[in-house]
Amino acid sequence: MGNKFRSIETKHYEERDAFFEGLKRLDRRAFLRVAGMSAGIVAGMGLRSPQSFQLVNVAEAQGTKPRFSFAYISDTHLYEQKLNDRFIRSILKAVDDVNGLDPQPDFVLFGGDLAQLGQAGELKLGAQILKSVKAPVKMMVGEHDWFLDMGELWRDLFGAPNYSFDHKGVHFVVLNSILEKDFWTERKLTPKERMQIVAGLDNGIQSRFEVGGEQREWMKQDLAKVDKKTPVIVFSHSPLYKYYRPWNFWTDDADEVQALLKPFERVTVIHGHTHQLLSNRINNIQFHGMLSTAWPWPYAPEGLPQLTVQMNRPDPFSQFDGCGDGRMDVLESGLVDKLYNLWERNPITVRASYLASGGKQDAPPRTKLPSY
Amino acid sequence: MTYRMKLWVGAGALLSFAGGVALATSPAPRPESLQTTELPRHKVPVSKDGNLVVGMCDGETSLEVKGVKEGQSLTREQAARVSAELMETWLKKNPDANWDPAPPPGVAQGQKQAPQQKNPPMGTQKPATGGEMREGGVTAESGGKEVRKQAGTNIQDGHSYGAFTQRDEAVWAASTQQFVDEGHRVFHDAAAVGGTIAVSCDMCHPDASNTHPETYPKYQVQLGRVALLRDMINWCIENPVRGKPLADGDPRLRAMEAYIYAQRKGTKLEYGKK
Amino acid sequence: MRTPSGVALSLAVLLWVHEGHAAPETQSSAPPPSPLPSGVSLVLWKLSVPASAAPTPERVALGEKLFNDKRLSLDDSTSCATCHDPNKGFTDGKPVAEGVKSQKGMRNSPTVLNALFNASQFWDGRSSTLEDQAKLPILNPIEMAMPSPEAVVSKLRGIPEYVTAFQAVFKRDITYDDVASAIAAFERTQFSGNARFDRFIHGESKALNASELRGWALFNGKARCNSCHAGNAVSPLFSDQKFHNIGVAAHKQDFPQLAREGVKLVRLGDEKQIDELALQTRFSELGRFLVTKQENDVGAFKTPTLRNIGITGPYMHDGSLTTLWDVMDHYNKGGVANPFLDGGMQRLGLTEPEIDDLVAFLFTLTDERFTKYNGQELARQRARKGQRPERDTAVALGKKGNLGDLAPNPDLSVKNPADIGVYGTETLPKPASTKQP
Repeated sequence: MGNKFRSIETKHYEERDAFFEGLKRLDRRAFLRVAGMSAGIVAGMGLRSPQSFQLVNVAEAQGTKPRFSFAYISDTHLYEQKLNDRFIRSILKAVDDVNGLDPQPDFVLFGGDLAQLGQAGELKLGAQILKSVKAPVKMMVGEHDWFLDMGELWRDLFGAPNYSFDHKGVHFVVLNSILEKDFWTERKLTPKERMQIVAGLDNGIQSRFEVGGEQREWMKQDLAKVDKKTPVIVFSHSPLYKYYRPWNFWTDDADEVQALLKPFERVTVIHGHTHQLLSNRINNIQFHGMLSTAWPWPYAPEGLPQLTVQMNRPDPFSQFDGCGDGRMDVLESGLVDKLYNLWERNPITVRASYLASGGKQDAPPRTKLPSY
Repeated sequence: MTYRMKLWVGAGALLSFAGGVALATSPAPRPESLQTTELPRHKVPVSKDGNLVVGMCDGETSLEVKGVKEGQSLTREQAARVSAELMETWLKKNPDANWDPAPPPGVAQGQKQAPQQKNPPMGTQKPATGGEMREGGVTAESGGKEVRKQAGTNIQDGHSYGAFTQRDEAVWAASTQQFVDEGHRVFHDAAAVGGTIAVSCDMCHPDASNTHPETYPKYQVQLGRVALLRDMINWCIENPVRGKPLADGDPRLRAMEAYIYAQRKGTKLEYGKK
Repeated sequence: MRTPSGVALSLAVLLWVHEGHAAPETQSSAPPPSPLPSGVSLVLWKLSVPASAAPTPERVALGEKLFNDKRLSLDDSTSCATCHDPNKGFTDGKPVAEGVKSQKGMRNSPTVLNALFNASQFWDGRSSTLEDQAKLPILNPIEMAMPSPEAVVSKLRGIPEYVTAFQAVFKRDITYDDVASAIAAFERTQFSGNARFDRFIHGESKALNASELRGWALFNGKARCNSCHAGNAVSPLFSDQKFHNIGVAAHKQDFPQLAREGVKLVRLGDEKQIDELALQTRFSELGRFLVTKQENDVGAFKTPTLRNIGITGPYMHDGSLTTLWDVMDHYNKGGVANPFLDGGMQRLGLTEPEIDDLVAFLFTLTDERFTKYNGQELARQRARKGQRPERDTAVALGKKGNLGDLAPNPDLSVKNPADIGVYGTETLPKPASTKQP
């Protein structure tokens, strides 16, 4: 066989390696060089994503052509490269995926938990990698990004953590839903200790996530300007409902937030944090969880929403299994079909009609190997 | 001279058939790291004729096996006879012992199978016993009349094995919990387990979820072998965690096993589950 | 494309109902040969050889004759044994199969040894039985090139000895099915164990030398071989019988492009066309995808058995790797990156002495009836150690690229990865007696 000639694939990966190496030198000019090259790679490939995005264009098959699509990358949990480059490989894989989408998504949502321990090195590394995403990126914050400096650096890098915008007739609200009541002052914890505690999913010392009164007030004001017939899509790192309290698969003031969304006809919440296929519907609100690029979480022992079709138990022997990214097709109705682009597996779509019909229509394929 | 110690389950009792010799001589030298505290030994009388003497787990009773010399092994039939005889002697010495005969195999006729239990929520487990602090210390009544009174029923007492007080149970519970807590610590600390890339066990298994210790031994597809829980722990240490596999006797491995089992308290054992 | 939900639902129900039945479907198996050699599993025999396909001596004799008969090919030049030479461990020692008129196929001839235990046949698993497998090469224009089953039958009917033999064995005129049954019967006698490794695992601790023992530890640990090539006493093939993209073909093809074209062709093809595609065209490199049409199977090929691996080179589905050293080099650098690469593939960080140990271990998996040939092959491969086209030490050791992080080398005196899990009856040649007193 030998390496007599190099295919496009080989060249692509060689350039990817160079890009990766380039990350070690983090000055701004070096970055412009690698970012430019990365975009060049993708354009040069002229390919659909390596994974299965385009093969499944279900919405069109159904005659419910989406009004637009956006993609997401979420829960990348980056360490600094010298400590652990596994998660960097994963986010790069996701960036490749979304850059390879044809047609390109209108924007890419980043779902929070860019960093693992909120360190400057982690957040900056993530910010640089995300700059190589071709489509505009909408940022959302996660608890791993926040609790070292209470969001100071995050704000510097990405701006305010909560904001809203309108896109093609849909009103988007982005929340910072990972606020916690002070558990650290009384315990005299250092910022690092505080961060470490929040970073432990099963660490019971921390408080429960909440959107908080102040932000709810902001949200109320924001939504007051929106017609009740306008579709609303909320981005929230925590699930915005109550699933499993011990792991903060939970938002303490979820009821209050849901009440603010109740007057609207069509509401979709897209959330991170849970690292798994997760679907729910509460009255008028449809909920979709996002995949992580770093690792999958197990399903919690109780509280799993009935409409959730679990993903097959991940194979620990493959570092990418159970991870991935995805795409949201916003339908004419304003509701969302969510495509889970699971690496190493066939993609799974959870349709708005499945949630709207209470599971009676368009059920996604069932799991063969459920969690224990 | 040492020979392998065999544990025998007869009539529900665990009897050692290692014989006097094995117990009287010191055990084979073990690696430094595995040395544990000396355990009390049962010194059995030496047979005049050089016969095998078998000691019982009560630390007192022993039996000379006629016709079997020291160092010879017993057939299964001989061993069954010896165990029955020892058991009989012990029951004679302890007529009031709270001793349940071994349950017959299978479920008694007419009894209904208990409904399958849902796995209990994780992160909330405590050892089986563990009472409140009790004022007044242990009295003559503790473990005897007092227990009887608390239980509101007439129960057997009078033998030291079984005269357990709340204090005993609290000590056991705390000892067990300490071991489990150590496991919790190692499980949540990438460096402690020897990881090199800051990945710790809890990052994929919060509260030891999805570790399913109750399914082992089972065929681990990716190993192509039948594995025990500790085998899978070691695999995880070497691969996702990027550390070196630990010896089976390594205190960290043992503590993690303890923690994982503790988290699944109440879950039905189901070895071999897919 | 999506399955209509109704179908998905009823399928789910079916699956559920099926799982609800505790007892699996049982089918009686043919009586196993007695005694089976060490390293050959009785359980696998029972799972693989149905009673209806029992290799009776008459069928086996007829099958062996057919297996070696060049008249089964168009120009009387090629028999099954041409590519599956019993003297070469039932392979041909060539990178890819060569059929009539010296035409070359696209894939390496796999060994017939232990093929009876395979869950599926061919590198892409497109046949589920030995019988189905036997029929295809005879008709493949590049291999034995007979134009049709009828042509094979009428050719055989013109040979009096076969007319008599088929009458005696099958009690009827020659059919193509019976030709396949006879060949399959012969192949069902080609089980192979009795390797030096089997003596070791059954308690002869000195059967392997120090280097081979280190190789066994690496096989189960750092080198990650056992993720796909796991073996145990019940299933001693050293193969998971699954399909993986390990990136062998990736640097020859523009994979996504090929996949797109492949999808179109595959939708229209029937079994024979796919067989021809697989053998004759560059689509061969799409592997299992041609069979399942699932994108996840692009470039995936069946994990082959490692039994007799030392004498069944060259290696990989296309025979592109000449020696086991080349194979180690390929895995050491994490395969060749491509979008469909199996997620279990990552660089291994093996040093040169470790590679030597692994190769030494692999040569202990050869049946001792081939000991001499095995030694020759080892010497031949070792002589090529200087030529290492696949070697990329910088990538393998993590100095370049980003194909995976490496664990520190384990301390074998603390925990030998070969001791993780149980191989099976390590110390007992036979299962312990279960007789009750």
